[in-house]
Amino acid sequence: MNAKALSRLSLRALWGVFLVSLLLPGLAAAQSFDLLKPKGGSGPLSPEEAFQVETAWQDDGTLAVSFDIAPGYYLYREHLTVSAEGGDAPVIETQPGEMKDDPNFGTVEVWHDHTEAVVSDITGPFTLHWQGCEEKGLCYPPQSREIVPPGGAATAEAASAAQSNQAAGVPDYAQSAASSAPAGSSEAETPTPPVAASKGDGNSLSLSSDDGLVAGIAAKGGWALVVASFFGFGLLLAFTPCVLPMVPIVAGMLGAQGKDLTPARGLALTGTYVLAMAVAFGLLGIVAAWSGQNLQFLMQAPATVIALALLFAVLALSSFGLFELRLPQALTNKVSSVQGPRGTLAGAAILGFTSTLIVGPCVTAPLAGAFLYIAQTGDAGLGASALFALGLGQGVLLMAVGLFGSAILPRMGEWMVGVNRAFGYVFLGVAIWLLSRVVAGPAILALWALLLIGAGVALGGRDRFGPESSGLGRVGGALGVAALLAGALEGIGAASGAADPLRPLAPFTAGQTVMAAAPDILTEDDFTHVETPEALDAALAAAKGAPVMLITTAEWCTECATIAREVIPDPQVQAALRHVTPIAVDVTKTGAPQQALLKQLGVIGPPTLIFLSPDHSEAQGTRLIGDVTAPKLTTSLSEIAQ
Amino acid sequence: MIDRRNFLTLAGVAAGSTLILPTASLAQADISPEAVFHDPKAPALGNPDGDITLVEYFDYQCPYCKSNHPVVEKVTKEDGNLRVVMKDWPIFGAPSVYASQLVLGAQSMGKYEAGLEALMATQGKLSNDLIEKTLSEAGVDPDKAMAGYKANRKEIDALLSRNDAQAVAIGLRGTPAYIVGRDVYPGAVDADTLRKAISDARQA
Repeated sequence: MNAKALSRLSLRALWGVFLVSLLLPGLAAAQSFDLLKPKGGSGPLSPEEAFQVETAWQDDGTLAVSFDIAPGYYLYREHLTVSAEGGDAPVIETQPGEMKDDPNFGTVEVWHDHTEAVVSDITGPFTLHWQGCEEKGLCYPPQSREIVPPGGAATAEAASAAQSNQAAGVPDYAQSAASSAPAGSSEAETPTPPVAASKGDGNSLSLSSDDGLVAGIAAKGGWALVVASFFGFGLLLAFTPCVLPMVPIVAGMLGAQGKDLTPARGLALTGTYVLAMAVAFGLLGIVAAWSGQNLQFLMQAPATVIALALLFAVLALSSFGLFELRLPQALTNKVSSVQGPRGTLAGAAILGFTSTLIVGPCVTAPLAGAFLYIAQTGDAGLGASALFALGLGQGVLLMAVGLFGSAILPRMGEWMVGVNRAFGYVFLGVAIWLLSRVVAGPAILALWALLLIGAGVALGGRDRFGPESSGLGRVGGALGVAALLAGALEGIGAASGAADPLRPLAPFTAGQTVMAAAPDILTEDDFTHVETPEALDAALAAAKGAPVMLITTAEWCTECATIAREVIPDPQVQAALRHVTPIAVDVTKTGAPQQALLKQLGVIGPPTLIFLSPDHSEAQGTRLIGDVTAPKLTTSLSEIAQ
Repeated sequence: MIDRRNFLTLAGVAAGSTLILPTASLAQADISPEAVFHDPKAPALGNPDGDITLVEYFDYQCPYCKSNHPVVEKVTKEDGNLRVVMKDWPIFGAPSVYASQLVLGAQSMGKYEAGLEALMATQGKLSNDLIEKTLSEAGVDPDKAMAGYKANRKEIDALLSRNDAQAVAIGLRGTPAYIVGRDVYPGAVDADTLRKAISDARQA
């Protein structure tokens, strides 16, 4: 099996899932088409960027609060306050500010740049409130943060994670002299989700916000609905080839059982596998809640990828019979005494855990929605439950394979060894595919060459066949020869600097293609490449007054390579590109600037194409994600090129 | 031809819609164009039959809402065919809420615009006293306005609540915020930007 082909298949499926998600109100709204408004600038900062607040507990039980205020923004002194529910509110001491006294403002006291305050007389949990404006003309709703003293119900860290950064809604109506029965949503501490009243006719406003579907569901039905929805999502994903790479893993695991395999045993093994997979997703949920990071980035961090590739290589060696994967004897005995004669349930658990990476790209859409929400709320419990349910949902199909597959699999020992070996090659293929995200193309081709040649020899490609040879042996031999030839081609590709394992001879054929095509064809190499927000701003400034195409790309992004190779050179696309400035936003590196870029653009990951009108506002309904074809690209380009 | 991938996409869409559509109908914040541009309870200024609607989310204490108000008025008058929907989004605490309640309450005596203009012409911070004084001077009796609010309290409170939920759902960063066509303009805008926004919406 070609793991590369497999990965492409699962990527295709991912975009299927994305299409689904586009129908969903929340995720659709996550595509923020007004991000670059107004006037070609980048728009106002988010309140948490504009006012960065830090708190530190002092030895005397007071809380030091410091604000870093972005240039061009200010905080109101009178709006930096504390309140406590029921009990006595603590006392906040603030520093004098600058008096702003001009026709627009009346007289108010404000802070620029930086200010500090001390909160004392703290007897229990309280809420810190602040409010400010952007000088150019925007005032934010009040912001707040729950503070719990150390030793209180939660740690200070957990409390600060629960910060409500988003618009807190209408302030307390009850304070109003006139109204004792407020109508407002003053309790809406968590960001209210964007809920487009989607009628499916594309007629509703699609608007900018980074909250998503999950927040929407959570606001409406609470935990149970979120968890149930994610189980449903998982179930949905199981019927896509997302889970396909997991079937051979499960089958290999069952195969290794040989004749001990009973339906009950099969179910127990797959059950463990699925449970472990679900736990891995659940842990991702917790980590997302705590870190606020985009975990897809973590998954794509070179260190993580290399570690996982090594893991798969080790799994392969185990399949080749070099050693048996098992836990320390003491632990194994314990597990065995409870769960049967062999400790391979642990092996199933490890496999399940690591398989999360394989389906990772597939579940980008729901995962991204979940992460955004979870990271914002800091609700680790909900995050873990939701993603755990997602894992379980995905596993339902595998459980069926475990149950029925075991009845179908012939119960004999000899050829099972062969099957086990075959899976060894698959695992090695997965390892190489993983590495291809971080290692240069020719090296990957060399690895494929080695793997294919090894597999070819093992299949009998170098064996001699006599009159007594079986038909099956001859078929194996033929396949072996084919694998040897493919390996040789990959080797030649590696030696000549090819980058795509599916086209190892590209360096030899490329010259002809270029000769045949128009000499002035625009390729992605001609695009302006940016890797930081500053570089993007500079590139946009240089393209002032011109329509712009932003294409997020990365070296490890296989779909991006397809777009560059097959879509960009299309004559119609070339014609449409003539009046557009293309900028490639390269997120190959996974550092803070790249994350900032993705956040700024409201992009979950490459490939995403954004189209800006001459005033550099995003043209509505033009954004392309993932499955980009020449007609779609031409349509989007023509939208901005008028 | 339905190939494997198309089939999967279709199947996914079908399953996904089944899963999600029931929850979507439970939506709290309606941000359809109808709800954003044509909320029957939100006061409309300018040309009530205008072909284009500008929605402004504002607060009576927000300095930029007030300093930018003449710009909006000027462009509205020039255009002649623009409908302007004012959506109270009181984010500056109790006096802002009080001001919104009184001015919306004044609607019942046909003094909405007078109340709005008077308060928009003030500077910065307001107090309840200052609000009442300003309204009185503009010929809007605060007591009658309060009576108007109390008589329609349910509707006005619901409107304020709706405005707030909409603003948050749309992802507005603060006040003022303007929506024309399908574009959101956060913060104060100059006349040219506003004119262009309107002509863009007209062409769309």
